[in-house]
Amino acid sequence: MSWTPTLGPWAWLLGVVLAGIILLYFLKLRREPMKVSSTYLWAKSIEDLHVNSLFQKLRRSLLLLLQLLVVVLALIAVFRPSLRGETGSEGRLVFLLDVSASMQAKDMEDGESRYQVAKKLIAQRIEVMQDSETAMLLAFSDRAETLQSFTSDRRRLLDALESVSVSNRSTDVMEALRAAEGLANPRRSSQVGDVADAQVADALPAELLIYSDGIFPNVNEFSLGNLVPTFISIGQDRVRNLAITAFSAERNLENPTEVQVFATIENLGTEKLESDVTLSLGGEFLDADRVTLDAQEQAGLSFELSVEGSATLELQIDSVDHLLVDNIAYAGLAPTKMASVLVVTEGNTPLRVGLATEQASRVCRAEFVSPSYLSTDNYLQRSIAGTDDLIIFDRCSPSQMPETNTFFIGALPTTGVLQEGSLLSGSPDEPAAIEQVGDSTNTGEEQIRNSWSWDGDPSGLVIVDLDRTHPVMRYLELFSLLIFNGRAINLPDGGSELLSADIGTVLGIAPRDGYQDVVLGFEVISDTEDGTAQANTNWYAERSWPVFLLNVLRSVAGASEVSSANSYRPGETMRTRLAEPRETVTVRSTRDQEVDLALHQGSLIEVVDTDTPGNFRIESDGDLMDLYSINLFAATESSLKPVRSLELGYESVTAAAVGLEDQKEYWRLALLLMLAVLLTEWWLYSKRIA
Amino acid sequence: MNSKSRLDPLLPPELLARLERLELASRKIFRGQLKGERRSKRRGQSVEFHDFRSYVPGDDLRLIDWNLFARLDQLFLKLFQEEEDLHFYALVDASESMNFGDPTKLRVAKQLASALGYVGLCRADRVSVQALGPAGRRAPVLRGRSSLWKMLDYLDSVEPGENVSLADGVRDFSIRNAGTGVVVLISDFLDKDGFESALRMLIARRMDVYVMHLLSPEERDPTVRGDLRLIDVEDLDSAEITMNQFAIDKYKSTLSQFIESIRNFCAKRSLVYVPITTETPVEEIVTRYLRQRGVVR
Repeated sequence: MSWTPTLGPWAWLLGVVLAGIILLYFLKLRREPMKVSSTYLWAKSIEDLHVNSLFQKLRRSLLLLLQLLVVVLALIAVFRPSLRGETGSEGRLVFLLDVSASMQAKDMEDGESRYQVAKKLIAQRIEVMQDSETAMLLAFSDRAETLQSFTSDRRRLLDALESVSVSNRSTDVMEALRAAEGLANPRRSSQVGDVADAQVADALPAELLIYSDGIFPNVNEFSLGNLVPTFISIGQDRVRNLAITAFSAERNLENPTEVQVFATIENLGTEKLESDVTLSLGGEFLDADRVTLDAQEQAGLSFELSVEGSATLELQIDSVDHLLVDNIAYAGLAPTKMASVLVVTEGNTPLRVGLATEQASRVCRAEFVSPSYLSTDNYLQRSIAGTDDLIIFDRCSPSQMPETNTFFIGALPTTGVLQEGSLLSGSPDEPAAIEQVGDSTNTGEEQIRNSWSWDGDPSGLVIVDLDRTHPVMRYLELFSLLIFNGRAINLPDGGSELLSADIGTVLGIAPRDGYQDVVLGFEVISDTEDGTAQANTNWYAERSWPVFLLNVLRSVAGASEVSSANSYRPGETMRTRLAEPRETVTVRSTRDQEVDLALHQGSLIEVVDTDTPGNFRIESDGDLMDLYSINLFAATESSLKPVRSLELGYESVTAAAVGLEDQKEYWRLALLLMLAVLLTEWWLYSKRIA
Repeated sequence: MNSKSRLDPLLPPELLARLERLELASRKIFRGQLKGERRSKRRGQSVEFHDFRSYVPGDDLRLIDWNLFARLDQLFLKLFQEEEDLHFYALVDASESMNFGDPTKLRVAKQLASALGYVGLCRADRVSVQALGPAGRRAPVLRGRSSLWKMLDYLDSVEPGENVSLADGVRDFSIRNAGTGVVVLISDFLDKDGFESALRMLIARRMDVYVMHLLSPEERDPTVRGDLRLIDVEDLDSAEITMNQFAIDKYKSTLSQFIESIRNFCAKRSLVYVPITTETPVEEIVTRYLRQRGVVR
């Protein structure tokens, strides 16, 4: 006979108080007043009774005795006595408790989750542990955690069991098995075959009790050795579960305000289900759709939205099924990235003005330096580290191409060959670099073919054509431009002509080691011989000038690379690099929970606490720096049908028949007896009154 | 007082006829005040011969037995038993506790007192039937059977509620009645101050005391059950009790101890203790029960 702990300590306290009140209620007799000639003799009689009146009453009052019996039986019924057979074991038990997301499924009796039932079963097994038995408790999801090492103290085991909670993570039983195996199959201290080597510990057989729904990949390459596995499969065969297994939002690069949302809904249960699916933006309802899916079918949903700036999206399956954690998915649209732009120029007012427009300053942060800066160590480090997203070389060229995107105005990119110590600030009239290299070797000729070069001498030019399909040339109208002096350019392999004039290509773009170089064949501002600046074109006065610069920033500097925020699985470490270094940032969830993080490496953020699904914003000083979301997105976890047989190493383990129904519960009997006693008491009372 | 006691006469005519044949017995011989029908310690003028004694000068020559003088030639005086009246007191406890039972203890007490008083009146005794307490002060002293109505009238006027303690009532009686005689104390003796002091006072007056202990059947054998709060009608004192067989047994045991204590007290002091249950008819009590106990003959 065992007492199943069904109530918590507070509930017990309440129960005891209630029982006490009931007892006092019964003991507090309602006495009828009755006149007698004298209480003289009665008082003398009850003096003796008063000495142990309570016990006298209990002994003599049948009704009271019956009432007390009712209370006792009620208390027994509340205690839920049950009989369960004692289980023999190897003397050592290893409890493996699955706390992965699938264990949250509430498909058990009374709406309990698999996890709760598993905990209950483990608690019951711990309760019937014999004094000679020791046990350890491991919880596993995508990682294993030793909750309690070997002990025979049942209270400690139960406390450890109480402390564990179910997670949203996926399942990997391997680590837990290895931890359990460490005991049963101790390794040798060093090399096998070493005669002087001694086994570090005796092999101790242990019973491995796996409380899980078995929803994890079969375990191969694992030897159980002395472990005697018992698999307690938890879960019903008939399950209902609609799951969102994919959800993302992408901006249209052509039109960044246009957002397309894609989702995959799968019916991973065993019954046909239908449900509404609701999309909300920042907590506001946006759109909805309805899905009807047969078992093991899936459907794709797409929504088109118009969203300015950053946003957080939620997709929710409105119907209630057995697993709720996969009924909601999160996605974020990251904010427009601030591009860092370095402008190397002697002075270029149109460029300065064009990069300072409201739109441009929203997507870039420009720093203006003179060409002499190119010779500093600071620049070298900067160019090697790729700190900037774009470097604009106005009428100058670096000695070595930086590790970033470039935009050359009236100058050509240098070739890939390092020209140590040289600092070329060549003008279009002096293609020194190319000539210097070009005469050297065949390899050099190839390089020339694969690099930028001038085509012809400087002259006046007229715009003939432009490629408006390219992002750099979007929205531009350039036929009214006046250009006094310019040179045609030859593009390297893979380059694209963006703007052609009567003399040839005057604007082109070409890739370089994952970066892009844009070259404009004419200057915007020219220096006269007396050193004063003069305009070489009227472009700076056209509306197309700031638009062109903005296009360059977006498509070349990466400022337009706005897309969906990264999604991580629960338990995964979130890593991201901020656009600019900050000392501290705040990670704020959609439920307005905040965590402050100190950044040690300037811009690299690592968030380890990623157990809870949701949208998360990384903010600094009130500015949104980045977004990320955490979603389950694991079809294996969402497939709730429990497994009845496990493949562990080379052994197949069939689920053992252990369940709550194995118990013989006696509280119902106590309840029936209580009712019978109550009826008898009522009958006796009526008889006496009559 | 219930209706029955109001309508029925205390002493029915048949009983009166039977009482006339009875006589109050006194185990002591008291000096009376008037000539009565009882022997006295004193030698007197009655016709009943008592003894002879030698003549001494000064004796009444009328008492010399001349026949003896003729036979023996000596002077002897013939002594006769003096006959005097008897002082009979019936003390009725009229406290509230006596108003219990059917018939009430008070009515039975009145019937007993009147019956014994009537016996006394018939024998020319000096009879005083009185209630304990203030009501006793207006009780008449009666003589002769014609005084029966006075006695009954007085008893009719006695109502329950004379909540004077037994001891106080008896003390009051003792102060008012200095003489000796036969006292019948009729009470339930359910007095929280005890009965002993009351009886001691009567003994101290060298009275011939008869103690009639009245109890109703409900008091002897309670039938009530359940959880009760018993309220004392005299002092409104209450006692909470669960009336079950155990409590009943305990009460009965206490009651028998109580009765035994009175009996012992009386036995040690030559008082006649007569326990009476109110359910017994008065005729039977007086003509058989009291006769057996020697109260009347």
